[in-house]
Amino acid sequence: MLSEPAKIRVEFSKTGALKFISHLDLNRTVQNAFLRSKLPIWYTQGFNPHPKTVFSPPLSVGVSSECEFMDFRMNEIVPAEEIVQRLNASFPEGLRAIAAYEPQSSFSQIAWAEYEIGFECKEDISAKIKALLSGPLEVEKTGKAGTKTVDISPGTELLDCGYDDGIAHLRVLLSCGELTFVGPYLLTGCISDRIEELDGAECFVHRKAVLLADKKTHFR
Amino acid sequence: MKIPESILKKVQKPARYTGGEWGQIVKPREGMAARVAFCFPDTYEIGMSNIGMRILYDVLNKCENIACERCFAPWDDMEEQLREHKIPLCTLENSDPLYDFDIVAFTLQYELCYTTMINMLELGGVEILSSNRKNDDPLVLVGGPCTFNSEPFADFVDACIIGEGEEVIVEFTNLYIEHKKAGFDREKFLHEAAKIEGVYVPAMYKTEYNDDGTIKSFEPIYQDVPRTVRKRIMKDMDKSPYPEKFIVPFIQTVQDRITLEVYRGCIRGCRFCQAGQIFRPVREKSVEVLCDQARKLADSTGYGEMTLSSLSISDYTCISKLTDELLKWTDDEKISLSLPSLRVDSFTKELMDKISTVRTGTLTFAPEAGTQRLRDVINKNVFEDDLYRACRVAFEGGKSQVKLYFMQGLPTETDEDLDGINALCEGVIDTFYNTPGRVKKAPQVTISCACFIPKPFTAFQWEPQCDMDELLRKQQYLKGKIMNRKIRYNYHDATVSRIEAVFARGDRKLGAALLEAHKRGMRFDSWEEFFSYEKWLEVFDACCIDPAFYANRERAEDEILPWDNIDIGVTKEFLLREKHNAHAGKATPNCREKCAGCGANKLGGERACCPSLQK
Repeated sequence: MLSEPAKIRVEFSKTGALKFISHLDLNRTVQNAFLRSKLPIWYTQGFNPHPKTVFSPPLSVGVSSECEFMDFRMNEIVPAEEIVQRLNASFPEGLRAIAAYEPQSSFSQIAWAEYEIGFECKEDISAKIKALLSGPLEVEKTGKAGTKTVDISPGTELLDCGYDDGIAHLRVLLSCGELTFVGPYLLTGCISDRIEELDGAECFVHRKAVLLADKKTHFR
Repeated sequence: MKIPESILKKVQKPARYTGGEWGQIVKPREGMAARVAFCFPDTYEIGMSNIGMRILYDVLNKCENIACERCFAPWDDMEEQLREHKIPLCTLENSDPLYDFDIVAFTLQYELCYTTMINMLELGGVEILSSNRKNDDPLVLVGGPCTFNSEPFADFVDACIIGEGEEVIVEFTNLYIEHKKAGFDREKFLHEAAKIEGVYVPAMYKTEYNDDGTIKSFEPIYQDVPRTVRKRIMKDMDKSPYPEKFIVPFIQTVQDRITLEVYRGCIRGCRFCQAGQIFRPVREKSVEVLCDQARKLADSTGYGEMTLSSLSISDYTCISKLTDELLKWTDDEKISLSLPSLRVDSFTKELMDKISTVRTGTLTFAPEAGTQRLRDVINKNVFEDDLYRACRVAFEGGKSQVKLYFMQGLPTETDEDLDGINALCEGVIDTFYNTPGRVKKAPQVTISCACFIPKPFTAFQWEPQCDMDELLRKQQYLKGKIMNRKIRYNYHDATVSRIEAVFARGDRKLGAALLEAHKRGMRFDSWEEFFSYEKWLEVFDACCIDPAFYANRERAEDEILPWDNIDIGVTKEFLLREKHNAHAGKATPNCREKCAGCGANKLGGERACCPSLQK
């Protein structure tokens, strides 16, 4: 037993059926997995003991990811590989622990997220996407204060765009900053609204990386 | 057929439709001797809370050559998408349409789900009428408490399981496998299936009616088909299969915890209660077996809460020992224990201290009626003082809120009995203020009043339900009587209760109404947002059916009742005796005090409470 519980960060992926689990349900699913894993997780001492789990920026329902993070505390030191292995033995399919370590940076330092986006489309429309993303991107954003029009282009950076095998795909950096936050569906909605070939097209979104302000350093 | 992601993104709670939960069993499509689609005619959240479905899913999948997959009713947003894109309703495990299965099984837990069952059949590409199904179409099998009167939905199902299904569902499926090997003939198979104890095949029986609409005769069409179908029970609950693994849903369900079934049946004989009769005789599990089951489920699910389940948990003979044993490890494992419905006469401080870890601040008791006279009529053997004593225990333990369940419209009920409900609530509030050591805040008594619905296999099966006007008047009357703002009065929608009453004691003629309702797009009748009394009245009108014939008519004691061919062990003579006792205001002691001779002991049973069964 440690005198002070150790902080642990687990990096994990969320794919398959798990894409359709909300942030809240993910929390419940992980809590059950903790109990199944029998890892020495630290619990709050109150009337209703629970592990204090903190998750990285919420993922929209329907988006898969290979770079999710959760922080919790442990009462004993357990080797990182063992944490990963025991969690994976308790996680449902679609949830996979990738690595466990002591947190290097705080969640508030997350500035950008890299996404891969694919649209099912019969024609190569990558030039149209490039053109669209080079100018201002005005979208309607509905918040507590009602609907307002905002330009999401300052929080959007196109890294790559191409087309193969019936899929128009792009790689983008989207801002995770509190005021400039751009959710992936804001962008995909904007694209499919303005490019007629994409009207009603099936669209896939995958979070590839979570980065700090320099757009290079991976969050850990 | 997987549901496209574009559709999943459009609907509420897509995780209802994706499967893939921890504990799910996926068997290969090929190489199975029989595949069963186990359907629950309500939403995922309700269906996944049902313990019967969990048990049978486990039982069937434990058979090497049988695969069992789950299917739930899609919410209206998903139904719209399925219809628009012509996608059939599929199971969660392998995403296969219902029409692809050998057996499509439904568990029917309440009458208002019948329309949803029919809708699911249609969405799953299964012919809805039994008589129209072809040789190779799936067999539609139903079970659950509603099958004790299967007549209203008899037209839509091929076979019904009467009673506890653990053994008989396997026997039925194995018989199917045998017949399939030999070249399947539907009619021949059903004829044979009707001979399995606990299986009722509606098509094997013919009903004739008198001019007044009552039943004239009810006969099997073949000599070798039994006249009466006896329900099945699991004689030894210690040996009865119970899953070691539960599926752990991703989304919150109604019963999102470990359910430990402690015993079956009930020693009480409340005269309105169907469960108390159809699950007789009482059969307990031993503490050792329960602890083992609890341990395994805690390890395999990772749930942080466990509830002890049965009809009246405080009546379990070893409740103290069981909770002691469980509490030895549950705290350390971060598991909190909870208990459902408590009886006021067996609720003790000791029991409450043990469950003090429960998160809700409210305790629930069910006095059911407001005066001692009426409680004697319904055989709810609790007294005013029991309630006040139980409340005092709760208040001393730091609670300030109590929830009380009552029924309105019970046989012989007068306005005085309704006044009694109010007086009882006032008494609970006085008890609160007179309890030394109570918390320093205002008490709250919430009363929830259901409308009495006469059910088959109860002492009140002959009784009329109060008509609508009278039910509404009673509700308004009590509303007007309650002046204390610390009493919150909730009551059920009387129109819903009336439709439930129609189907509870319905006969086969109601099949026409269900068909008509289905044609009009009706389903999810237990949901406020979908239920429409007006639509139901229109349906009955269109089918020339008088709902009052079923809901509000007093049955003669010698009338042939639609469920008379079902033998639940408890005899009709006993129920009749209980009816007469009710009208005489005479209480009947519970099974442990004195055997009332109900007849259920002929079914046998280990660790039963019937004196005649104790060895």
